[in-house]
Amino acid sequence: MSYIPGQPVTAVVQRVEIHKLRQGENLILGFSIGGGIDQDPSQNPFSEDKTDKGIYVTRISEGGPAEIAGLQIGDKIMQVNGWDMTMVTHDQARKRLTKRSEEVVRLLVTRQSLQKAVQQSMLS
Amino acid sequence: MEDCNVHSAASILASVKEQEARFERLTRALEEERRHVALQLERAQQPGVGGGSMGSGQSLPMAWQQLVMQEQSPGSQASLVTMPEAPEVLEETVTVEEDPGTPTSHVSIVTSEDGTTRRTETKVTKTVKTVTTRTVRQVPVGPDGLPLLDGGPPLGSFPDGPLDRHFLLRGGGPAATLSRAYLSSGGSFTDGPEPRDAPSYGSLSRGLGMRPLRGGPLGPDPGNGCFTLPGRREAFPVGPEPVTPAGRSQPERFQAESYGLEDDTRSLAADDEGGPELESDYGTATRKRPDCGRVLRTRAYEDVADDGGELLEDRPLYPAVTAPLAQPERGSLGSLDRVVRRSPSVNSARKEPRWRDPELPEVLAMLRHPVDPVKANAAAYLQHLCFENEGIKRRVRQLRGLPLLVALLDHPRAEVRRRACGALRNLSYGRDTDNKAAIRDCGGVPALVRLLRAARDNEVRELVTGTLWNLSSYEPLKMVIIDHGLQTLTHEVIVPHSGWEREPNEDSKPRDAEWTTVFKNTSGCLRNVSSDGAEARRRLRECEGLVDALLHALQSAVGRKDTDNKSVENCVCIMRNLSYHVHKEVPGADRYQEAEPVPPAGAVGSQRRRRDDAGCFGGKKAKGKKDSEMDRNFDTLDLPKRTEAAKGFELLYQPEVVRLYLSLLTESRNFNTLEAAAGALQNLSAGNWTWATYIRATVRKERGLPVLVELLQSETDKVVRAVAIALRNLSLDRRNKDLIGSYAMAELVRNVRNAQAPARPRARLEEDTVVAVLNTIHEIVSDSLDNARSLLQARGVPALVALTAACQSVREAKAASHVLQTVWSYKELRGALQRDGWTKARFQSTAANTKGPKGALSPGSFDDSTLPLVDKNLDGEKLGSQDVIPMEALGPDGYSTVDRRERKSRGSELAGESSEKEPLKSDPSRKVPPPGPSRPAVRLVDAVGDTKPQPVDSWV
Repeated sequence: MSYIPGQPVTAVVQRVEIHKLRQGENLILGFSIGGGIDQDPSQNPFSEDKTDKGIYVTRISEGGPAEIAGLQIGDKIMQVNGWDMTMVTHDQARKRLTKRSEEVVRLLVTRQSLQKAVQQSMLS
Repeated sequence: MEDCNVHSAASILASVKEQEARFERLTRALEEERRHVALQLERAQQPGVGGGSMGSGQSLPMAWQQLVMQEQSPGSQASLVTMPEAPEVLEETVTVEEDPGTPTSHVSIVTSEDGTTRRTETKVTKTVKTVTTRTVRQVPVGPDGLPLLDGGPPLGSFPDGPLDRHFLLRGGGPAATLSRAYLSSGGSFTDGPEPRDAPSYGSLSRGLGMRPLRGGPLGPDPGNGCFTLPGRREAFPVGPEPVTPAGRSQPERFQAESYGLEDDTRSLAADDEGGPELESDYGTATRKRPDCGRVLRTRAYEDVADDGGELLEDRPLYPAVTAPLAQPERGSLGSLDRVVRRSPSVNSARKEPRWRDPELPEVLAMLRHPVDPVKANAAAYLQHLCFENEGIKRRVRQLRGLPLLVALLDHPRAEVRRRACGALRNLSYGRDTDNKAAIRDCGGVPALVRLLRAARDNEVRELVTGTLWNLSSYEPLKMVIIDHGLQTLTHEVIVPHSGWEREPNEDSKPRDAEWTTVFKNTSGCLRNVSSDGAEARRRLRECEGLVDALLHALQSAVGRKDTDNKSVENCVCIMRNLSYHVHKEVPGADRYQEAEPVPPAGAVGSQRRRRDDAGCFGGKKAKGKKDSEMDRNFDTLDLPKRTEAAKGFELLYQPEVVRLYLSLLTESRNFNTLEAAAGALQNLSAGNWTWATYIRATVRKERGLPVLVELLQSETDKVVRAVAIALRNLSLDRRNKDLIGSYAMAELVRNVRNAQAPARPRARLEEDTVVAVLNTIHEIVSDSLDNARSLLQARGVPALVALTAACQSVREAKAASHVLQTVWSYKELRGALQRDGWTKARFQSTAANTKGPKGALSPGSFDDSTLPLVDKNLDGEKLGSQDVIPMEALGPDGYSTVDRRERKSRGSELAGESSEKEPLKSDPSRKVPPPGPSRPAVRLVDAVGDTKPQPVDSWV
C-alpha cells in the first residue's frame, strides 16, 4: 500500500455506501477517522507504511450506519463521493464526510485483507 | 500576447501572403463590380462630384489612376514603356524602382529579426487601409475636375488613356497641377478643424516636420527633410518587401480611378456591415505598404546619400505632392535627373506604386472622420506609429490627439473602441510621463474603466488593462486609478480570474487561478498603485475580495507549482506592499499591540530593547529558561480570538500566510517573486504587535529559517537584501535569534566577505545589501554572547575589520564598525580576540570614528530595516513597474512578442532581465544546495515534537 507521492496508485478498493443517521440536528456516519497530510503518519496504528498520510477508519460505533454498511476499522479511505482522500488534511476529510446536504456518502476504501484476497485469487 | 510567441516567422509570413491573395481576389471582384455599378454608385452617393472643371480635375484623377496602376500591376511597366512620353515616365518609374536595393534590405531585415519585420508589415497594412479610405473620401469631396472622371470615360480608356494623360500632366506643368490637387484634397480632408486646412504649403511644412519626429534619432531637426526621410525609413524598415512582388503581379485591370471611387462606396458599405473590409485592407496594405514605404525610403536614401542639399531644394515642390492620396508624382517631382542618376539600370525593373503615408495631423483628423472605419483605421495606424517612438508620441500629444482617442473609447462601435484603446496603450507607454498626464487630464482613466466594465471582448480587456498598467507607473496617476478603477479591476478581473469564490460551493472543486494576460496586466497595475503610500494601501486592503482573491491565486500557483510567471510576481508584490506597516495601519491594530511598553527603538539602549523584544513571547523570562519557556509560550500563546474565519485584509497577517510565502521562497525561480516573498515576511515580522510575534514564531515552526538562510546565497542582490532584513526582523524572537546566530552566521559572513572581495567578478553586493547584512549581524550578535562567539568562529572579525578599513562606502564602514564595537563589548570574548592578535584599537578606533554619527545612526537604521524600508520597496516598485511596462508596450497585438524580446534586450532594465534568465542556471544549485546550506537545513529547524499535532481522531 505504500506509494510514491505523485505516482499513480493501484489499490484494490471496495465500495461502501453509508446512509447517514439523523441524530437530533446532526447526521452521523458512526465512525471516526484518523490521519491526513497534516498529521504524523508514524502514529497511525493501521497503516502498513508508516509514511502513509492517508485517512484511516479508526473506530466504528456499534450498530451505526458505518458498521451496517460494512466499513471496518483500519480501512483506508481512498475517495468520498468521488473526492480524493489520499492527499487531504484531516479536517478536509472530516468536512468532506460530514456535509449536511448529503444524506449518503459513497466511499472507496481499501484494506489489507482485500489486497490479500485479490492476490490469492490471482494466484490460484 | 504570449500566444504570439508561438507564431513562427514563417507562419506569419504565410498568413501575410494569404491575406494578400485574399486581397487580390477581393480586388478582382471589386473591379468587376465596379465596372457594372460604378457609375450608379458614385452618382448616388456622391452627387457633389458631378460638376467640376474638366481639365485640371481630370488630370488629377488621372494621376491617381496612374499610380494605382503602377502599383498594382507588374504589367504596368510594359504599358508604360509603350507610352509615348516614355522617357520621362520611364525615369520616374525608375525612381520608384530605385529601391531595388531596398527590397534586399527588407529581406535581410526579415531574416535577422523576424518579429520586428513582421510587425512592421502589419502596421503597414493598417496604413494602407487608412490611405485607401481617404482616397475615397477625397474623390467625393474632390475638386471640380473629379466629376468628369467619375463619369466613366476613364474607365473605358483607362489602360492607355489615363496613363498618357497622367504623364502629360507630369511632364507639362507638374507643379501647378499638383499643387492644385493638393489643395483640393486638403479641403476634402479637413472635416475637422485641422491645421491642415491651411494652404497646401503650410501643410507641407507641417507634414515635413512630422517626419523628422518619427525619425527621431536620425534627424532632430524637423525642418530638415533629409533627416526626416531617413527616419521614416527606419520606422518601416521591413517594408512589405516580400509582399510587394505579389502586389506587382496584380493584374493591370486595376484601374486607379475606378478603384478610388469605388472604394469610397465600398468602404462605407462594407464597413458598416463589418464585412471583409478589414481583410482586404490588410491585403492591400501589405501590398501597398511597400510602395509608400519605399517611395519615402527611396527618397530618404537619395537624400541622405547623395544630395541632401538637393532634396532640400526640392522640398517646396513636395507640398503639392503631399496630397493625402497616393502621390504618383513624388518621384516625378523629386526630379527625374536624380532618379536617373541613381540607378539607370533599375529603371527597367518595375514600377513602384507611390502611396504616401498620411501625415500625423491628417491621421489625427481622421479620428474625427464621420465614417467609423476611418476612425478605426486611423487609430490603428496611430498605434503603429507610436510604437516605441517617443517623438511621435509627443507630437500626438501636442496636436491634441489624446483627447480624441479617449473620446473614442466610448464610441458605439467596438472596432473603433478597440483601436483607440490600442493606440492609447502605446501612447501611454514609456518613461515620458507627459502623455500619461495628458490622458488623465482628458478623463482617460474613467473612460478606460468604463470600457473595461462594458467590454466582453478579451482583446479589448487586455488593451484596457495594459493601458492602465502603463498609466499606473506614473506616481500622480496612482490614486486616480484607485479612485476610479480599483473596484472594477478587482471585481471584473482579479476576483474572477483568481478562481476565488466569495461563497465557495463546497461541492465544487476550488478553481485555479487563470494566468491570463488580462490578469497579468491588472495585477501589474495594482502592483504599481499599491506602492503609493498609506492611503493607497488602505484602499487596497479594504477593497472587498482583493486580498482574498490574491491569496487564492497565489495558493493555487503554489499548488500547481507554477510560481515563476509574471502574474505571480505581481500578486506577491501587491501582498508585500499591502503587508507593509500592517501593524500600524490596519483598523483595530492597536488592540493587538504588545502590552509590553516597547519604547521606540531609539529611545533605549539596545540591551534593554532586546529584553523587551524577547518579552514579546510572554513577559520577561530569565535568560536561562528562555528556550523552554518560549516554546511553551508559543504553544499557549493566545491568539486574538475570532468568531469567524479571517477575511479581507485580516488574511494578510494570519500566520497561515507564512506557509504560502515559504512555499514561494522554496519553489519560485523568479527573483522578483523571491524578493517580494521575503519582503512580505520581513514586513509581517516587523513591529510590536501580537500578529508579528506570532508570525515570527510561525516562520520557525514552519521551518522557514533554513529556507531563508539558503537564499542568502542567492546571486541576486535584492533577494539577499530582503532575506537579510527579514532575518533581522525574525530575530526579534529570541529563539529565532539563537537559531539564526548558530546557523546563518556563516552565510552572513560570507556575504560580508563578498562585499570585500567578490568571489566572482561583478558579484559585489550593493551598498544597501551589505548594510542590511551587517545590520542583521549586529542584531543577532547583540545581547547574545553565543552568537558573538559564532561570529568569531565564522571568522567574521577579519572580514569586518577589512571592511571598515578598506571600504569605500561610509555606510558600510559604519555598520561594520558598529558590529565590531558590539563584539568587543563582550568581555568574555576579549581574551580570544587578543589571542588572535586583535587589539582594542581595531574595535574601538573604528567605532570612535563613527561614534558620533553612530549614536544617531544606529537607532535610525534599526528602525529602518525593522520596518522594512518602505522607501526601498517603493523604489523597487517603481523600477519594477517600469521594467514591467516594457512588456506591455506592445505594438500591434499579434506581433508583440518579438518586440518584447527585443525590448528586453534593449531596455535599460537589462540587468533585471538577464538576471531572470540566470536563475535557471543558479537555481539548480539552490535546490540542490551544496553541503553548506543543507546542513543547517536539517538543524536550523526548531526542535520538532511540538510541530506535530497529536494524532487527531474525529468522529464523523
